[in-house]
Amino acid sequence: MNNAIRYFAGVDIGSVSIAAVLIRSQKREMAASEMIPSGGNYKDAARKVLNGVLSKAGIGVADLAGIVTTGLGAESAPFPARQVSDISCQAMGCRRLFPQVRTVIDIGGQFTKAMRITPEGRVADFLMSEKCATGSGRFLQVIARILHVNLSEIGSLSLQSETPVEFSTNCAVFAESETVSRIAEGAKAADILAGVHRAMAAKVSMLAKRVKMETEVALTGGGGEDTGLVQAVGDTLGVRIWVPEQPRLSAALGAACLAAAD
Amino acid sequence: MTAGAKLDELYKNRGVRAKELHNAGAIVIGYFCCFVPDEIITAFDMVPYRIQGSQSEPIDEADAFLEPMACPFVRSCFNMALKGSYDFLDGFVAPHSCDTIERIYGIWSHHRPSPFNHMINVPHMQGPSSEAFYRSELDYFIKSLEDWSGRKLENGKLIKAVSLYNERRKVLRELYDLRKSDPPLVSGTEILKALVAGMGIPGAEHLALLRRYVAHVKERPKPRKDKTPRIFIWGSEIDDAAFIQLVEECGAQAVMDDLCTTTRSFWEEVPETTDPVEGIARRYLATHCPRNDVPQKECSRISDLEQRYGYIKKFIKDWAVDGAIFYIVRYCDTCELEGPDLREYLNSLDIPVLMIEDDYSISTIGQLRTRIQAFLEMIG
Repeated sequence: MNNAIRYFAGVDIGSVSIAAVLIRSQKREMAASEMIPSGGNYKDAARKVLNGVLSKAGIGVADLAGIVTTGLGAESAPFPARQVSDISCQAMGCRRLFPQVRTVIDIGGQFTKAMRITPEGRVADFLMSEKCATGSGRFLQVIARILHVNLSEIGSLSLQSETPVEFSTNCAVFAESETVSRIAEGAKAADILAGVHRAMAAKVSMLAKRVKMETEVALTGGGGEDTGLVQAVGDTLGVRIWVPEQPRLSAALGAACLAAAD
Repeated sequence: MTAGAKLDELYKNRGVRAKELHNAGAIVIGYFCCFVPDEIITAFDMVPYRIQGSQSEPIDEADAFLEPMACPFVRSCFNMALKGSYDFLDGFVAPHSCDTIERIYGIWSHHRPSPFNHMINVPHMQGPSSEAFYRSELDYFIKSLEDWSGRKLENGKLIKAVSLYNERRKVLRELYDLRKSDPPLVSGTEILKALVAGMGIPGAEHLALLRRYVAHVKERPKPRKDKTPRIFIWGSEIDDAAFIQLVEECGAQAVMDDLCTTTRSFWEEVPETTDPVEGIARRYLATHCPRNDVPQKECSRISDLEQRYGYIKKFIKDWAVDGAIFYIVRYCDTCELEGPDLREYLNSLDIPVLMIEDDYSISTIGQLRTRIQAFLEMIG
């Protein structure tokens, strides 16, 4: 039995998407992953994403040696699992992907988090943004909607900007009306997006500095998919930013690693 | 009814006992913060009532008078006053503890005056001249109460009140000693309830209940060591157990605290002198409220922090604390500006700190769960 392959799952139940990652034996190789929108029902979506990842790997629930759930909806998991905060999971996931990383910035749909991590992938210190949309993925959703730009395009579009718009406010709600005025004045979508990215980067960088950032730095969560935002954060902090290939999976990966460590 | 159940009932139905006493003809004096001595009010045969807010009631009417960026604890208290919850108070006393409390005195006593209204000026810097100033303020408070009530303050009664409240302090410290074991014999949630329960009843009644309660707690079977993280909670006015309960639900033991409603209000005794007002002035002025300042003896940063927070070092050591949580009521400048210095000091003692700023409302408390969990995972 000792030679049998053991599987561990990590499930990240977030406000925007639910991700599951399956790793194989203690070596922590990624066996399969799956991600779906959260929709209205955490329970159903969590079950669906776990079944999805299991069928991709061609195994059943009975083959799982452990599950860790994380994220805002971790409590809603319809299967028995250990709960760990997404902060600890993110730290562990980043350690698995980038062993050199000591600071992780996670930009999610609701919150932004900054954490300093130890070489072992433990959290040394962390900060979470206050209930404020500026600095969270929500801000980008709002602006993308007004500009009629697809969320997946905002990164490349923003990078084309030559003269980013300066926003006079740090509030997402007022930035919305400011954006409308700027469009009326003829500002280009690229410049508006670059301005938004700068404003967000300023907020996010402040969290990283307050947590006493150490290099190297990784950026995870939905924000990591936005190349314009990644560049703006890197410029503001003056460091290179490591981004996972699938930045929305790193917390689930960390959860799976923690399940394997149990 | 057991003492624990009685304390729980008083915690849940705050104001009921004071209202009963008021209806029976007693004079109930409501006050804010840790700078209005219970001893003086008690020596007048009046009932001291520490004004509390409600974290479960939304603030609606108060916002017609106060800006929403004013301290939500004060807004909540004033909201209750506007709705008539404090109509049983015969007196309203506010100290100049922080600027919000100082200003609410005028707004409150204008819109919802009690038969007796009084403001006590409290100096910020400690030292002999401040003690003399504050003492005069207390003499003026006493004179105002005498003029209004027609009663005369008897020195003997004041001396008796001082020893009554010192006795209560002693019993409370005994209760706190029962949190030293691993795990503690009494939870942080239970302690907070026992303290808040006493904020609106005569000191002698609270003392009798506490004595019985401590005896009960001592009889509890000794639990097995469980090595859960031991947390020190620092902040301002926590008069609802919801937050401490959340911390304990997340898998920690709240073993020690420094809050306006807990140790800050009772830990140190009043020196028992022949001139009781002098002893009272000295003790109350030295309250560890972050609005207070201590004159620096030396100019170094280290000695400054040591002078301000040395008492916390003792708490940390004697109660074997693993981590600290600052729970700050939003817009409390006093605590928010004290936070960074205290964090630095605690970090120098290898105590990690989680700083949380929250609305004074239990409806938002659940959102803090992730932070608390992550913090406990970090130190665990």
